[in-house]
Amino acid sequence: MDVLPNEEEQMVKNLAREFLEAECPPRLARDMEKDDLGYPPELWKQLADLGWLGISLPESYGGQGLPLTYLGLITEELGRAIAPVPFHSTMVAALTIAEAGSDAQKQDLLPRVGRGDLVLTWAYSEENPRLLPETVQCQAVEDGDNFVLTGTKMFVDNFVAAEKCLVACRTAPASGDGAGISLLLVDAGSTGVSQIPLTTLAKDKQSKVIFDGVRVPRSNLVGELHQGWPIAQEMLDRGTALLCAQMVGAARKDAEMGIDYAKNRVAFGRPIAAFQSIQHICADMILWVDGGQLLTYEALWKMDQGLPASMEVSQAKSFCNDKCEAVVRSSQVLHGGMGFMMEFDLHLWYRRVTAWTMRLGTSFEHRSRIARGLLDQPGRVRLGMNLEVPA
Amino acid sequence: MDFAYTPEQEALRDNVRTFIQENVTDEVRQEIEDLGIRRRGPRVRELYAKLGERGWVGISWPREYGGQDGSRIDQYIVEEEFARAGITVGGAGSGAPAILAAGTEEQKKYFLPGLINGEISFALGFTEPQAGADLASLQCRAVRDGDEYVINGQKMFTTAAHYASHIYLMARTDPEAPKHRGISIFLIPMDTEGITVRPLWTIQNEPQAPAGTTYGDARTNEVFFEDVRVPTSCLLGEENMGWYVGAMGLNLDRVGASRYLISVQRDEDIVNYVKENDLGGMNLAEDTSVRDRIAELWIEAQVCRLMTMRSMSLVEKGGNFTYEGSAEKVFAPEHGVRTTETIAQILGPYAQLLNGSEDAVEEGVFAHNLMGSFQSGINHGSTQVMRDQIARRGLGMPRN
Repeated sequence: MDVLPNEEEQMVKNLAREFLEAECPPRLARDMEKDDLGYPPELWKQLADLGWLGISLPESYGGQGLPLTYLGLITEELGRAIAPVPFHSTMVAALTIAEAGSDAQKQDLLPRVGRGDLVLTWAYSEENPRLLPETVQCQAVEDGDNFVLTGTKMFVDNFVAAEKCLVACRTAPASGDGAGISLLLVDAGSTGVSQIPLTTLAKDKQSKVIFDGVRVPRSNLVGELHQGWPIAQEMLDRGTALLCAQMVGAARKDAEMGIDYAKNRVAFGRPIAAFQSIQHICADMILWVDGGQLLTYEALWKMDQGLPASMEVSQAKSFCNDKCEAVVRSSQVLHGGMGFMMEFDLHLWYRRVTAWTMRLGTSFEHRSRIARGLLDQPGRVRLGMNLEVPA
Repeated sequence: MDFAYTPEQEALRDNVRTFIQENVTDEVRQEIEDLGIRRRGPRVRELYAKLGERGWVGISWPREYGGQDGSRIDQYIVEEEFARAGITVGGAGSGAPAILAAGTEEQKKYFLPGLINGEISFALGFTEPQAGADLASLQCRAVRDGDEYVINGQKMFTTAAHYASHIYLMARTDPEAPKHRGISIFLIPMDTEGITVRPLWTIQNEPQAPAGTTYGDARTNEVFFEDVRVPTSCLLGEENMGWYVGAMGLNLDRVGASRYLISVQRDEDIVNYVKENDLGGMNLAEDTSVRDRIAELWIEAQVCRLMTMRSMSLVEKGGNFTYEGSAEKVFAPEHGVRTTETIAQILGPYAQLLNGSEDAVEEGVFAHNLMGSFQSGINHGSTQVMRDQIARRGLGMPRN
């Protein structure tokens, strides 16, 4: 039992921070809000050279095979730097391929991901954005050696930058146990694929993606036919935990900016940091970020150990949704009018963290999962015991 | 990072649970109910003796003073299991961390084994009528007179003073020095001549709160010192350095199993209660609003657990707290209050029924908790003072 990062983990985190502080200033995030692609390919290449893109991919496919916690720490630092790179979406898809893909798929795709030659994304949400098996309506119909995919996906990250998209679709009618879902890897440039950009609060790249009779070769099926739900669920949980890491990183930086500002801003003849009303806001910000960080680390660690982590993931996301939002809003409050100004950088963090609270599960959705884990299965509960969201 | 206990630690936990099942009998529980846990009757004394034999008290203390040179995490496991059974083992108020850090050889050899076998326990003599949150303004006076100190003054809210063997007393030894630099700590037998204890009854009195209630003590005390003469060997640490010695002990007092558990046990209780009962025919476990609130509380309880584990991880590594102990002491008690108040709204009018009332739920523990949970955010450093400390020590913000 040691909930703190060990020496090696801390070193990886520190190195990531040093690199990003030097190479990824807030200016970049600001510029990329107006960029068509949404990320600077040179920075992406640098991340590949540093080994970050393959850090938790298998060694046999060119990765470093390090625990998911390491990927989490890198993601946390990218969040801190609000780095405008398609890291999260690429990792979510790549890790799912590494888990469930065929050897040929892994051979073909993972080394390219690690080298920085392949940007990926994934698509689950539809018009009803809840992350449940029954919300998947996109249809894939078998036709010889192909599937024919029709339907609309919502809130797809970085679709404009991605070469391929891992799509959850229905290959058989919905059933109670989630069967009937399959995962297809679709080339973003296939005939019949179109996208409509969404203008998000974060001003990052999300799209509504329309598949209109898109032919996808059978060899692009990831995992077994109709058996995609457990894979998708794991993908969503992993993606959620990594998003929490990103939120925690960004929220802590945002809190630090608020605290620094309070130490320097003079009012009533002293720095406002000398006022207890301000101090207590700052203390709360740190409590909240710390709480989110601890929950996130536990979720990542459990996943890495192959232990059930559905409860831990939902705990982390629900808490981060509420508390990281409270942190970035508090920091806006500490900054007074300055934080509201376009030229001041604070809003870059505020808008991103706020947008992230709505992605990969709202607080209500995650608490509903936790309630199922607590209340819908027999037996007395006890803190510290292993609990799982029932299927 | 590593969020699991080792197999050895899991085995230790199982052993402790088995021990509790076998040894914390109905007779022991009756004695605890009659006398309170800290005032030890013969059965509880016997229980502590058995604990001592197994080496389960002060596991992390040095062997030469009766400990095991073991891990703080092991010690935490034992403390947690016993706290769940309503029995205090080490933890808050033990005085041991400060004695280990600042005591003389003689003091360590005398007090630590006594704390282990249960023959010694401390009442914490800190608060005074005019010195609560601003503890360093305390006025209780100790004047050196040859080989003795002469103590005069009054302490307030001295829980356990009516049965503790000793008082861990903070008194002023230099009234001229700046307030933090004129304080000393004394370890004084409660039966010393000139010490008078008078009861102060808490709102948990009449009817007495059931076991496990957050701050369920019916009684606390005021303690008067009138020309109390003690030998200089009662001094802990250097004269006038008591503030810093005390801070060491308090910091460790604020964290650990008992503080954590009193803040989160109601979370487990409410989940288990609504699962197993349809109170008045209400199916609370299927009520959407109730489910959402219970999940929210559960998440916070997990944060309390992880903050406790963080403190343990820091102590185990020999690191110092900057603000982590204070963070835990803000989050956990405030969470306990949120839980208690939420449960009131979940159970409705049943949650107002006190111990012994017709139709009381779980012996009225939820109702009594409404009279105790906020106390946890006040004693041992209020959450407001803790936030000051987080801001000043943790975040480097200036004093106003």
